[in-house]
Amino acid sequence: MRRRGRWLFPVVRHALLLAWTAVTLFPIYWMLMTSFKHAGEWVTWPPRWFPHEPTLVNYVKVLTPGTSTFELGRQTLKILKPIGDSLIVSGFGALLAVVLGSALAYSWARFGTGGRSYPYNILSIRMVPPIVIAVPFVVYFVTLRLLDTYTGLILVYVATCLPYVIWMMLAFVEEVPVELERAARLMGASRFRVLRSVVLPLTASGLVVTFLFVFILNWSELLLAMTLTNTEVSTIPIQLNKFQSANEGRDYGPQAAIGTIATLPVIVLGFVIQKHLLRGFSFGLLRK
Amino acid sequence: MAGIQLERLTKVFGATRAVDGIDLTIPDGEFVVLVGPSGCGKTTTLNMIAGLEAPTAGDIWIGAARVTDWEPGERSLGMVFQSLALFPHMTVFENIAFPLRIKRVAAEEIARRVRTVSDTVHVGHLLGKRPATLSGGEAQRVALARTLVVQPTVFLMDEPLSSLDAKLRVEMRTELKRLHAALRSTFVYVTHDQAEAMTMADRIVVMHQGQIQQVGRPLEIYGDPANRFVAGFFGVPAMNFVEGELRPETNGARFVAQALGATLPGHSIVAGPASLGIRPEHVRLADGRESWPATVSLIEPLGDETLVFLDYGGPASLVAKVDAEEKLAVGDRRSFTLRLDRVLLFDGTTGGRIMG
Repeated sequence: MRRRGRWLFPVVRHALLLAWTAVTLFPIYWMLMTSFKHAGEWVTWPPRWFPHEPTLVNYVKVLTPGTSTFELGRQTLKILKPIGDSLIVSGFGALLAVVLGSALAYSWARFGTGGRSYPYNILSIRMVPPIVIAVPFVVYFVTLRLLDTYTGLILVYVATCLPYVIWMMLAFVEEVPVELERAARLMGASRFRVLRSVVLPLTASGLVVTFLFVFILNWSELLLAMTLTNTEVSTIPIQLNKFQSANEGRDYGPQAAIGTIATLPVIVLGFVIQKHLLRGFSFGLLRK
Repeated sequence: MAGIQLERLTKVFGATRAVDGIDLTIPDGEFVVLVGPSGCGKTTTLNMIAGLEAPTAGDIWIGAARVTDWEPGERSLGMVFQSLALFPHMTVFENIAFPLRIKRVAAEEIARRVRTVSDTVHVGHLLGKRPATLSGGEAQRVALARTLVVQPTVFLMDEPLSSLDAKLRVEMRTELKRLHAALRSTFVYVTHDQAEAMTMADRIVVMHQGQIQQVGRPLEIYGDPANRFVAGFFGVPAMNFVEGELRPETNGARFVAQALGATLPGHSIVAGPASLGIRPEHVRLADGRESWPATVSLIEPLGDETLVFLDYGGPASLVAKVDAEEKLAVGDRRSFTLRLDRVLLFDGTTGGRIMG
């Protein structure tokens, strides 16, 4: 029994894992294939696993300028402006959050700014469902005229990213030995010089990883973007979501093309930072 | 060149008085070792001299200046940390050059001075390497070079040798002493290792529970300790202590303990509980006017000398350091005497020294 179990268990385990991988990857595979299919192949029975005549027409359609076009009564949504909008709000949102959050993390790690429980308090923001803060934001933004603006969405993204940035950067800052900073201070370096010459170089990779991580979060954020924007600002998730409406409903090819374009950076960046993410999120587990 | 003066220096962390109002004057050019068990306040004292910790009360003078409120960088100190604190993202050259770059020294001057100092401490061949690739001894020398390059008037060292293996540590001790002899700068060196303190110091400052217990030359501290703590801290193996009672006698005093009593001529002392301290080298295997029988319970040969544990009937064994030639076996019955001129007496309650 034991001998048989020895090879049986890994086989069963791998079979289960493979099956689960297939289940999770199938929609992505289907999206990718559909994005290369002509309209006639989108819904056929039996389904076609590969496009018989692969085409880039869906990509060409969604990547032309403008917001939408009508063709045979069907509206096709464009993606260029949403890509730009997404880059602007995700990028600036992540950048500001990293600048503010890492300063906060450093300040807390070294000087205990805000008291012992400060990072936990900030983390509690993330425990509130986003929809709870979305509605009050609408009220504020109407008053402040920030509704449907880049500034407004960027500010909200900074707020939602800060807890992640602070916690990830805490892990990276605490890896810099205090004695390095003390040594530099003794040599006459100002606090700013210590930051520039010692702390920044030693946390640079952490800063990059943290930036990419919150960038991805912003890139795929739908709820707040949908609540706080209308026509002026339209990120990729919003644009994708519009395909759910009746007008644009069955435009599967371009929808799949947009989906593929939207997913690409997430997958690529995910691979780039996956090793570091483990380190950033293992705070408190491996040390002390 | 500068001396250091500490006045009523105090540091309180929460409920603990890490450093409790110490006064200390370190003359210019002296090699002073602060020594004590961990938590005695020696590192906190050093950090306050460096400016890395702000004193709760008291003052620090370096040279003629009161530097209590000065920034660490303004005190023209060099410090070697326990962890060495080499910058891992810089080459050895950049590490040594760093303090010069902060002082905005010209590039050619930096190159020249880095080269000179790295030759002095024999790290000239390592300049292109990163700290992570250095051996313990090499890293130690680089840290030293980085401190030396700005020619500070005062050197602070926080257990700089503790990460080295035993052999290298002994070598570096000698080297640091040579360096001090060559520079004639003031050295303040912190360690918990009494052997390091004994071998390197011009003067030793013994600290315990935030207070200075004794300040003195190594042999003074060893031979003439101020209290029981100092007596027990120095010396390997540690001094023997026998708990007992002092009784005045006509011509001096008599120390009485379980299975051991000694007449101490010339002592005029108040009666009361006391402990008798005697170093292992002052316990002799011999018969004398006053000698006690004992059984040899353990023998530890050191090569040049041998440690003998003697069970004489008291609560603990007495350790004697005897000549290696001495013929001994466990279980032997031998008599021992104490060199009465080297016996130290301590107050049974305060631990303070009782002088005859």
